[in-house]
Amino acid sequence: MGKYVEMVRIRFLMMLAYRTNYYTGILIYAINIAAYYFLWSAIYGGKSSMQGMSLGQMTTYVAISWLARAFYFNNLDREIAMEIRDGKVAVELIRPYSYLGMKAVQGLGEGLFRLFFLSLPGLLVVSLFLPLQFPGHAKTWLSFGLSLLFSFIIFSELNLLAGVVTFFTFRNEGLLRAKRFIIDLFSGLILPLSFYPDWAQRAMMYFPFQAISYIPSMIITESFKGAAVRDGLLLQATWCIVLLFPIGWLWRAAKKRLVVQGG
Amino acid sequence: MNAIEVERLRKEFKVHASRSGLVGAFRDLWTRRYTIVRAVDDISFAVKQGEIVGYIGENGAGKSTTIKMLTGILTPTSGRIVVNGMNPHKEREKFVRTIGVVFGQRSQLWWDIAVQESFRLLKKVYRVSDEQYRRHMGEVIEMLEIGPLLDKPVRKLSLGQRMRCELAAALIHNPPLLFLDEPTIGLDVLVKLNIRQFLKQLNERYGTTILLTTHDMSDIEALCERVIMLDEGKIIYDGSLERLKERWGQGKRVAFTFAEAVTAAFLRQLTEGLNVVWKKGEQPNVWVAHVPPGGVPEVVSRVAARCALNDIHIHEVPTEEIIRNIYEEGAVHG
Amino acid sequence: MFYVSVFFQYMAQYMKTKLQYRADLFVEWLSDFMAQAVNLVFLLVVFGHTTLLHGWSRDEILFIYGFFLVPYAVFGAFFNLWDFNERYIVQGEMDRVLTRPLNSLFQIVLERMELESLLGAVPGLIIMLYAGSRLSLSFHWYDVFVFILLVIGGVLIYAGIFISLATISFFADARTSIMPMMYNISSYGRYPIDIYHRVIRYILTWVLPFAFVGVYPASYFLDKEEWYGYVFFTPVVGAVCFAVSVMLWNAGVRRYRGTGS
Repeated sequence: MGKYVEMVRIRFLMMLAYRTNYYTGILIYAINIAAYYFLWSAIYGGKSSMQGMSLGQMTTYVAISWLARAFYFNNLDREIAMEIRDGKVAVELIRPYSYLGMKAVQGLGEGLFRLFFLSLPGLLVVSLFLPLQFPGHAKTWLSFGLSLLFSFIIFSELNLLAGVVTFFTFRNEGLLRAKRFIIDLFSGLILPLSFYPDWAQRAMMYFPFQAISYIPSMIITESFKGAAVRDGLLLQATWCIVLLFPIGWLWRAAKKRLVVQGG
Repeated sequence: MNAIEVERLRKEFKVHASRSGLVGAFRDLWTRRYTIVRAVDDISFAVKQGEIVGYIGENGAGKSTTIKMLTGILTPTSGRIVVNGMNPHKEREKFVRTIGVVFGQRSQLWWDIAVQESFRLLKKVYRVSDEQYRRHMGEVIEMLEIGPLLDKPVRKLSLGQRMRCELAAALIHNPPLLFLDEPTIGLDVLVKLNIRQFLKQLNERYGTTILLTTHDMSDIEALCERVIMLDEGKIIYDGSLERLKERWGQGKRVAFTFAEAVTAAFLRQLTEGLNVVWKKGEQPNVWVAHVPPGGVPEVVSRVAARCALNDIHIHEVPTEEIIRNIYEEGAVHG
Repeated sequence: MFYVSVFFQYMAQYMKTKLQYRADLFVEWLSDFMAQAVNLVFLLVVFGHTTLLHGWSRDEILFIYGFFLVPYAVFGAFFNLWDFNERYIVQGEMDRVLTRPLNSLFQIVLERMELESLLGAVPGLIIMLYAGSRLSLSFHWYDVFVFILLVIGGVLIYAGIFISLATISFFADARTSIMPMMYNISSYGRYPIDIYHRVIRYILTWVLPFAFVGVYPASYFLDKEEWYGYVFFTPVVGAVCFAVSVMLWNAGVRRYRGTGS
């Protein structure tokens, strides 16, 4: 366990080393959210609610979505793909830890850093001049925290999956890019899934993407209430477990391949 | 006429000293501490046209920094540089057309395209006419024996093949001055020999001045009459390789292979008064005597008279060892 | 003249390289387009719930979006500076660039060009045609030249901003994750500028003039006469933006040559 904690610490140090990023990151997050707020005000155009959400809820939804993204987002797929291409993965495999586990922990370190030192200060800045609405119930915050953790797990699992696929395809830059935009689009990051046409919403029920952004954001804006919160968390938990299977299976196949080919 | 003239050249870098630990990293967010490091410390030297000069020193001695200043990549903190009659960091574009540069660890060539396509592109960049190109590059390609490689993409070449192509690429515009930074790093012996031979030919035929840095002393021995030695940013030796050897490599090494085990004390006693230092060799029963000039016959006869010997080897002090000794003892004033 | 001929030489080499990997070409183009399609989907979904955005119709907004894709495609083809820090500063390729007798920025533009990005202009033109025909816009013969001029202006603005961002690498030890964030901000230039608070409007017009790559020039074709003043300012802003970035670049190179890092 200690070595995994150490890895989180190292990532923290690495991120802190780049201080220009730190300052501009907060600024740009604030500009982004502000622009979204005005865009949505124009879209609402005086209407008090759309798809059951008020403008205040929508603004909070957007602000929180981007905040959450800073936490769950990582480039593990690219990192794995790069390490495979450069042949570094063979070295990683002889180290005394689980390669994929270590990768996930690195992602967690980065995510925690961005959450506490980029997103939260950014959110504070934004809340000074935008009407964000936060819930008063501790239970909502708790559910949100849990949901966010699931988001991170699911997003990382998808990244690990895409990274491991690289073992078999080698050049899949296009695939990784496509995956990223599908997630941006169908996770509910840029707009709540309830805005999509019914057929699209029904189709998305079968994919893990909404568990990444839509569910936590709906929880924190209290657009989900009571049973809906419970169902959302259950859905996330289910995906966390389900995704483990293809990863484990592909990883075993990949290792076998690595041994056969000699790296 | 000098190809390179350097006077009191100095380069300082500001280095960010990071605090340790997580708390330290946070404090670095607000204030940073810097220290000034003098990578090149008031050096002066001149290189005549047509010379081949070896520029040597340990890692971090300031070799690369000097080369970068001479090629116009870095601007000096103070001092005067004249290379090919120009100031390298003024009129950069005009200046770099008169030099060739090879960084041993960095490619000049385009990875995915055939070697000759890279050449064609560089020919355009350096504004070399077709006529000039045919005449000059024809010879270079022949000397380096890279004719058969020209239509292969760089990524398919071995390191040795690539290095020869890199050299050719640096010579497209037939520069009168060539900078080589670790040109033989990682190459096998045959390729090294080929490259050295080529550089000699180039120097003889075109009078190309060559300044090279290397860690491989055999490069220096094969090519350079003159070496400049750098330590902690200062020149500690500038002169001929011969003189360096005379002053520092005086004496011989005599390796005895004894038929049976002997002790150091016994050997020391045997050669008492001859100022000989004995060291144990790497093989069993091998002892090496470091003998001052003129002492070899006496040492050999004394040892042979008392011990049964299987073999004797006499050789000069290797340059590697001379250099190492100099670094251990500090500056040379020669 | 010399620079033009060097440009074509590089282009020829580029084609030869790319033809070796024909399959990738299609995949790259597809993923480029998908990146853009996210915005298109956003627009279409939002207009499933509303008819007007601050007085602008769906087709007008689509037209702006289509217009934007054209300068963006040209920018993407020639100014691939995403990994400038990684490739040229960290890996030290900048040293090699500085030993060649060509302007350093020009060399990097040539080395990193990705002509297939130009294909991204095709969906843009299609969207413009689609939206334009539904709006029954009228075109004049000289509009072609106005279009080209406005596109060039837009390209220079984008280039100017992203070159300036790349020069940060000369001054600070930053990994350029600012670039993707800036890319997000750039998308706000595609919506009618009058929906924003005046601070943001000011930023998008004078500080990070992304509005000149979307809504301002497109209003010319949409006959929004109240914006005409801004329309013809587009090439000027482009030229200024680019000139400033080149100055910053040169300052950055001077600094690089001072510190070597």
